[in-house]
Amino acid sequence: MKSGGLNPIFKIIFYAILIIWGLSVLYPLLWTLLDALKNNDQFFRKMPWSLPDIPLLWSNFTYVWSEFSFDKYFMNSVVVTIGSTFLGLFLAATTAYVLARYPFKGSNLLYLIYIASMMIPFSLALIPLFFLLNSMHLTNSSLGLILVYASTLIAFGIFVLVGFFKSLPKELEEAAAIDGASYFGIFFRVMLPLSQPGLITVGIVNVLNIWNEYIIGTILVNDPVHYTLPVGIAMMQAQMQYRTEWGPLFAGLLITMVPVLVIYMFFQRQIASGITAGAIK
Amino acid sequence: MTRIYSSLILLKLFWKGRFNRMKLGTTKWQRNLFIATFVLPTFLFFCLFMVYPVIQAMYYSLFDWSGSSDHKTFIGLDNFKEMIHDPIVWNAMGNDYFLVVGKIIGIMILATFFAIALTRFRFKLSNFFRSIFFIPNVISVVVIGVLWNFIYNPQIGFLNSFLSLFTKDKVDITWLGFTSHTIWMLLPPAIWAGIGFYMILLIAAIQSIPESYYEASGLEGAGQWTQFRYITLPLIWEQMKVSILNIMMTTLNGSFVIVMIMTNGGPDNSTQVMGSYLYQMAFTQYHFGYGAAIGVLILIVSLITTIILQRLMRQETIEIS
Amino acid sequence: MVSKTKLAALGIAALMAVAPLAGCGSSKDEAKTTDTPKTEDTTTTTKTDDSNKTEATDDGAKKLTGDFEIQYFVGGYGDKWWKKVIADFQAANPDLKIKESGGPKINDQMKPRWVGGNPPDFVYIDGPNLNDRQMVEDGQLEDLTDWLKDAKNIDGEKISDILAQPPQEFDGKVYDIPLVLNSWGVFWDKALFKEKGWEEPTDWQSFLAVSDKIKAAGTTPFIHTGKYPYYINGAILYPAIVSANNNDISILQDMAASKVEAFQQPAVMTALKKIVELRDKGFIDKASIQINHTDSQMLFLQHKDAFIPNGLWLPNEMAKDVPGGFSFGFIPSVTQDAGGKVVANTSTANVAIAKNAKNKEAAKAFLQFVFSKAQASQWAELSGAPSNIKGDISASNAPSHVKDAAKYLTDPNTVVVPAITFNADVDKAMQDATDALTISKITPEQWVERVVEAAKKASK
Repeated sequence: MKSGGLNPIFKIIFYAILIIWGLSVLYPLLWTLLDALKNNDQFFRKMPWSLPDIPLLWSNFTYVWSEFSFDKYFMNSVVVTIGSTFLGLFLAATTAYVLARYPFKGSNLLYLIYIASMMIPFSLALIPLFFLLNSMHLTNSSLGLILVYASTLIAFGIFVLVGFFKSLPKELEEAAAIDGASYFGIFFRVMLPLSQPGLITVGIVNVLNIWNEYIIGTILVNDPVHYTLPVGIAMMQAQMQYRTEWGPLFAGLLITMVPVLVIYMFFQRQIASGITAGAIK
Repeated sequence: MTRIYSSLILLKLFWKGRFNRMKLGTTKWQRNLFIATFVLPTFLFFCLFMVYPVIQAMYYSLFDWSGSSDHKTFIGLDNFKEMIHDPIVWNAMGNDYFLVVGKIIGIMILATFFAIALTRFRFKLSNFFRSIFFIPNVISVVVIGVLWNFIYNPQIGFLNSFLSLFTKDKVDITWLGFTSHTIWMLLPPAIWAGIGFYMILLIAAIQSIPESYYEASGLEGAGQWTQFRYITLPLIWEQMKVSILNIMMTTLNGSFVIVMIMTNGGPDNSTQVMGSYLYQMAFTQYHFGYGAAIGVLILIVSLITTIILQRLMRQETIEIS
Repeated sequence: MVSKTKLAALGIAALMAVAPLAGCGSSKDEAKTTDTPKTEDTTTTTKTDDSNKTEATDDGAKKLTGDFEIQYFVGGYGDKWWKKVIADFQAANPDLKIKESGGPKINDQMKPRWVGGNPPDFVYIDGPNLNDRQMVEDGQLEDLTDWLKDAKNIDGEKISDILAQPPQEFDGKVYDIPLVLNSWGVFWDKALFKEKGWEEPTDWQSFLAVSDKIKAAGTTPFIHTGKYPYYINGAILYPAIVSANNNDISILQDMAASKVEAFQQPAVMTALKKIVELRDKGFIDKASIQINHTDSQMLFLQHKDAFIPNGLWLPNEMAKDVPGGFSFGFIPSVTQDAGGKVVANTSTANVAIAKNAKNKEAAKAFLQFVFSKAQASQWAELSGAPSNIKGDISASNAPSHVKDAAKYLTDPNTVVVPAITFNADVDKAMQDATDALTISKITPEQWVERVVEAAKKASK
C-alpha cells in the first residue's frame, strides 16, 4: 500500500462528509442574508429556504442602521473593543512573561488562580460589578466597559501567552542581557516584538469575544449613547419580541456578523497559531 | 524525549524549577522590582474587576436575599441545604453532564476527523474547508440560537419541511417539546458551534508531527488507520486532553446562554442546566442568594470534574523534541 | 380652562383615531385620518397644561423643582405616549429637571439601582423581571393607600372614582395604580368563521362543539404559547377556576396570597380537567409547547389554528402582520358552562412611586397628571391599548374586538377579575405544571401537588 494512500471509496465518503458540513456552516450565513431581505409575510408563507421576493428589501438594512442608531453603536463597539483589547493584552503579557521566565515563590499558585477563574460563572457577579463601577462613576461610560472587558481577557491571555513566551528561544534574552539591557528593556525591545504573533492571536480571539458580548454591556450601560453593537442588537431583539420584525432583526444580526467575519478571514492564520500556542506548550 | 505530562491547565506545574535562572549580572532586588511591576498591576486589576465582584456574589449564597431588595438576612448554609432537596438542581446537573459527555464525544470525533482529513488526506480545497469550518465560532451565540430555533420550528422549520419531502403526511415533530430527553436536541447546535476551535487546535498539532514519521511507517506498509492509531493519536493526545478539559469547562460555565435562547429551560424545566437555573433563580424569581449558591455549586463541580478528568486521562504522552 | 365636556369629546376622538391604527391596517387613507385628530389633540393638551400651570401658580404652593426620574419599560405599547406625557409634564413644570430611563430592557438595567437604594422616583411596572408583589415585599414601593383616598387629578376629579379597575391590595394596602387595562381571552378570526360556517363560541360546550367541526375541517382548533405558559393560564385556566368556583373570584386572590388551601379546592381540579379535555381531544396544536408568542400569533394569523388564548394587546402587537380581511373575534373566557357568566381576567400595567424616591412631591404630581382623561385618551391613541380610566367606547368606531371586550367588561353579567399578581415561584410552578399537563407528562392531581408544594414554600 502506498504511503498516505486512501481507499477511493473512503475518499468519496470523506469528501461527502466535508461538503455536507461545509454546507451546514455556510448555509446559515446565506440564510441570514436571504431572510434579512424578506418581510414577515414571506417569512411565514414560504419555505424557510426559499428566496426572498423581488424587489429585495434592502431597506431593512437602512432601517435598522438609522432607527437603532447602529452607526453610533458601531463606533462605540470599535472604541471599546480596541481599547479593552490593548489594555487586556498589556496586562496579560506582562504577567505571562514573568510567569514564563521568572518563576517566583507563589507563581504557580498565581497561575492556577488565573486559570481557575475561567471556571467561574461570571453572570453572578453582574450586580456587585455594577455597584463597584457605580461607586467609581464608571457606569454608562465606554471607559468602564473597557476596564471590565480588559479584566475578563486577563486569564485567557495569560493562559495562552505563558505558553508562547516559553516557546521563544532563551538565547536571545541572554544575548540582550550580556549587551547590558535591563529586564524592562529585554521585555519591551526583544520579547514583545518577538511575541507579536502570539499577541495578535490573543488579541483577535478577544476581539471576537468582546464584539459579541452583551450581557455585561446591558447592565453597565443603559444610556443608548454608549451602547455597543451587541447591546444594541439585544435591545432590538427585545423590542422585536413585541413588534415581530424578522427582516430587520436579521439585517441587524448580519451587520454585527460582517466585521468579525472580515477580521477572521484576514487573520485566520494567526488565530490558528494562537489557539495552538497556548495549548501545545 | 519522553516524559510524563501531568496534563494541562490546573495541575500543569511543569515549568516548576525547569528553567535555570538567567545569569544576569543584576541584584536580586532589581529582579524582584521587575517582577512586582509586571505582576502586581495585572493582579490588582484582576482582583478589583473579577475576583472582588465574584467573591461578593458568592458571599450572598449565605443570605436569603431577593436580589431586588436593599435588605438581606443571613441564613448560613440553608441555601445549600435547600439545593439538596431541589429536584431541578439535580436534573440540571444531569443535563449539564449529558451536554459535557455528548459534546466531548461529538466534538472530539468530528474535530479529529476533520483535522486529519484536512491535513493527512491532502484533499483539494483543504484550505477552503479549514477556513469556513471555523465560522460558527465567530458568530454570536444569539444568532446561533435564533437560527437553530428556526431549524427546529415544528410548523415552519427547516427540519420538518425537509423530512416532509420524504413522507406522505406533513411531519410535525415538536423537536423542542418532548416530555423528556428534550436536552438531546440542544446537543447538535452545541456541537455544530464548537467544532471549529478544536479542529484548528488539532490541525496545528498534526502539522507539528514530522513528516518523516509517516514516511517511515509508510515504507513499512502501514495504512492510514495504522498511522492514525500509532503515530497521530499518541502525538496529539496532549491537545485532545486540552480540548476535552476545555469543552467540559466551557459547557458547565457557558451552555446556559444557548439553553435560555432556545428553550428557556422548558418545557417544564426539562432542559434546564445549572447556569440557566442560576440565572432564572437569581434574576427572574427573586432568589439571588439561592442563585449564588448554584454558582458556588457550578464552581465546585467544575473543579471536581477537572480533577477527575485529569486522572482518567493520565497517560504517557510522547513529545517530539 | 378646558371644559370637561370638551375633554370627553376629545377622548372619543382619540379613540376613533386608534381604531384604524389597531385595525387591519393596510391603507394609507386611514393613516391620514389618524393624523388630523392627533394634531388637534396636541394643541388641546398644551392648553390643558397651560391652565394647569396657572392653576398651580395660583395655589402658590406647588411649584415643582429638583430632579425627577421616570422609569418606563418599552414593549408592545411603544414609548410614544411616554415621550409625549413627559414633554407635557415638563412644559407644565419648567423648573423640574426630568430624567427618562426607558427601554425594552430597562427593568434589568435599573435593578442594581433599586437594590442600592437609589431608585428612580416614578416607575411603570410592566414587562419581564418586574413584579409588583415582589417590589412590595422588598419594601421598594411607597404606600399610596392614604394618598389615593382623596387624591384628585389635575382636572379636579377624584382619581379613585375614575379608575375602571381598582388597584390591587397587598394586605389591605395600595402600592401601585393600574394605568393600562387589558383582558385575557380567546381570539378567533370572525371572517374565517363566517366563511366556514363555524359558530363563534359563547361557552365551554359551544367551544368544544365548534372545535370538533374545525378539527374535522382539517384545521387545528387551538394554539398557545408553550414557551411562556402564562398565556394559557391567564386566558383559560384562571377564568375556568373562577367559573368552577361559582364565579367567586376570592379563590384567585387566595391563590395569589399563596394560601395552600386555595389550590386544593375542587374548582382548581375542575378547571385543570378542562385543559385535559382539550388535550385529549387533540385540539391543542402540538407545536404549542416549544414556541414563543410571536410564532404562535403568526400561526394563528395564518389560519393554521383557529383559536388562540391571548390578551387584548394582540391585534395592535401584530398590526403589521394581520392579513387583509382578518377580523378579530374575542371573548374573555370560554370555560363557563352554557348560561354561565363570562369571566374576564384582567391584566393591568401599573405605576408606582419608589419608597426611596427623592422627589415624591413631583412623583405624586405626575400621578395626578397621568390619571386625567386627556392623558388617558392620549394613551389610547399613542399606544393602541385601553387605559384604566372609565369611558364609553361603544359609540366610537373602535375595532370590533375592543368593542366586544368593552361590552364584556361593562356588562353586569360578567365577572371581572381585577388584576392579580402571583408569587413569582408559585407562578412559575403553575406555568411549568400547565405545560407538563398539556403534553401529558403529569395528571391534574400532580399539578395540584406540585403547586401546593411551591405555595407552601412561598408562604413560609
